[in-house]
Amino acid sequence: MKRPALILLIGLFAAVAGYATIYHLGTKQHRQMLENPAPELAWLKKEFQLGDTEFERIAKLHDGYLPRCAELCRQIARENTELRQLLSVTNVDARAVEAKLKAAGDLRVQCQQSMFNHFLEVSRQMPPARGRRYLQWIEQRTLTPEQDMARRHDEHKAMGHH
Amino acid sequence: MDKTLQEWRVTTPLPPRFQEQVWQRIERAETPSPSLAEVMRGWFAAAFARPAFAIAYVSALLVAGLVMGFVQAGQKTARWDRQLEARYVQSIDPYQRGQ
Repeated sequence: MKRPALILLIGLFAAVAGYATIYHLGTKQHRQMLENPAPELAWLKKEFQLGDTEFERIAKLHDGYLPRCAELCRQIARENTELRQLLSVTNVDARAVEAKLKAAGDLRVQCQQSMFNHFLEVSRQMPPARGRRYLQWIEQRTLTPEQDMARRHDEHKAMGHH
Repeated sequence: MDKTLQEWRVTTPLPPRFQEQVWQRIERAETPSPSLAEVMRGWFAAAFARPAFAIAYVSALLVAGLVMGFVQAGQKTARWDRQLEARYVQSIDPYQRGQ
């Protein structure tokens, strides 16, 4: 093979090998996380730099929380079904609807309280600074959607004026 | 006019090797110009004959590959991070599962 062609090929090989090596090393941790049976918990471990003991406790809390959450969801779904039945009749019983709305609302509050307690428990398993960061982050993502609602109202209002 | 032309004589001497130069020009004009591939091949052969250039070329491609790998790995892991973050939030907040 002629020397210039050989050098050209060596250059191209160096580029491909360099790319593949860095890409492989740079994504290794994430690929391992994705292979985990619970990748979202593996992500939590990485994001909040949890030790193995902390992580085990948090994973246990997570597994314990999910059935409670699922049970509340089932109860809310049942209330919603009953509410739909009340609304489907010709003469709607306003008082019964009101009571059902309140019951469903109470369950939602219970659900949010359960969520909040879980967040607190999880944050307590972390070192204080990381626990605070976790709590701030998760509350923003879950318990304070009203900010979003207010923003949507503002956007809607702005669109109405144009 | 005819008379003037018949009387006209060139007295200036021809430049040295005039005939040879004329034939060379004719020869060049008749030779086909090299193709782009030939020009490139010639250029590469000349450039890669210099070791400094060859080393610089291989190093530049290696660095380009490393940088591209680094950037793409960063983009990919950032996307995975966002997906896993959303997945964690959805796993604990039933209100976000339908979104």
